Amino acid sequence: MRIDSGKPDRTFENHLQGDLKTLNAHLPRRRKTLSELLEEKRPHVECGDGSTHYFKKKELEYLTEILNNDDQQMLLLPIIIEVESDEGNLKVRSKTGIEAKIFSQILDMPIAFKLDMITIFRPQLAVLRKVLKTTTQYAFTI
Amino acid sequence: MTTKIQVTRPTKIELARLKRRMKLATRIQKIVKDRLSILIMEFLQTVRECTILKEKLLADFREAYKALSVTTGYHGYAFLEKELLASEMALEISSYTRNVAGVRIPVFETEDNGASSPRNTPGTSSLTDNSTRLSRECLKNAVELAELQNSLELLGTEINKVKRINNALEYIVIPGLDATIKYLAMKFEERDREEVARLKYVKLLIEQREAYAY
Repeated sequence: MRIDSGKPDRTFENHLQGDLKTLNAHLPRRRKTLSELLEEKRPHVECGDGSTHYFKKKELEYLTEILNNDDQQMLLLPIIIEVESDEGNLKVRSKTGIEAKIFSQILDMPIAFKLDMITIFRPQLAVLRKVLKTTTQYAFTI
Repeated sequence: MTTKIQVTRPTKIELARLKRRMKLATRIQKIVKDRLSILIMEFLQTVRECTILKEKLLADFREAYKALSVTTGYHGYAFLEKELLASEMALEISSYTRNVAGVRIPVFETEDNGASSPRNTPGTSSLTDNSTRLSRECLKNAVELAELQNSLELLGTEINKVKRINNALEYIVIPGLDATIKYLAMKFEERDREEVARLKYVKLLIEQREAYAY
């Protein structure tokens, strides 16, 4: 009798893990504050896969314009937008709420900030990504 | 399309394994769908930006050529050629990559240094400065357009890949697993029913035997 080695299961699991790894490989090892990045000649962060993620200076300058000094020292970049597969909405974890301030400035509307979490909707995401291309990144979660 | 039922051995362990596989496949599909929607959104955004920039670049080129022809008319070809030979184009472009939902996209950024300011050499006029400024603007926009068009190509290729994975999961893997699970579940139910019927028959035989014995 043929014994099932469970190979297909492992293939599926590897696919899932591999997919998640590839998708989230670009996430930074350590995020930097805006003021730290402004001091660098070529603002960048190291990613999990060993690559380097660079920031556009224009975007950093834009953030500097809308934030005060205290906020600049607390804002961690890149801002990570969590894409959850169960829910259609997108979430941004934030302890300080500075991200909400930035988003409301860009979207020109108030943004809810509850329990260290900012919820944004898909149509809003396109507007945000247009302005913050390199200062935001996606993280896929299950 | 007919779904293919693949069973190596009809056992309960196999059924449990298939159910686990089904759960995994559904989870993968959800992630793949999310990724696809994000990629499509980015692609459409890039298309919009690309169209706007192309129109702007065409307008800028029109302006630049107009300015250049006016300058040529004022100074003459010989002077302009001499100026072009003497001029030095100092334009630094830094290139790096950014990651959008697993796709590495190139980013080109033009860096302005002091050399980009108009040169005030003897004999030149504001017309030459104006045409230089407009040409530089065109160059900057062309670099930006190159970035966007490259992004479009890469995003398009990735969308096709992800779509294929999604279709494979949606139309082949998941229906196949579903059909196999249903087939096995029905087989076990049938086996249970047969078992009950067999037990009843055996019970009847025993009862009959006991009745004859007395």
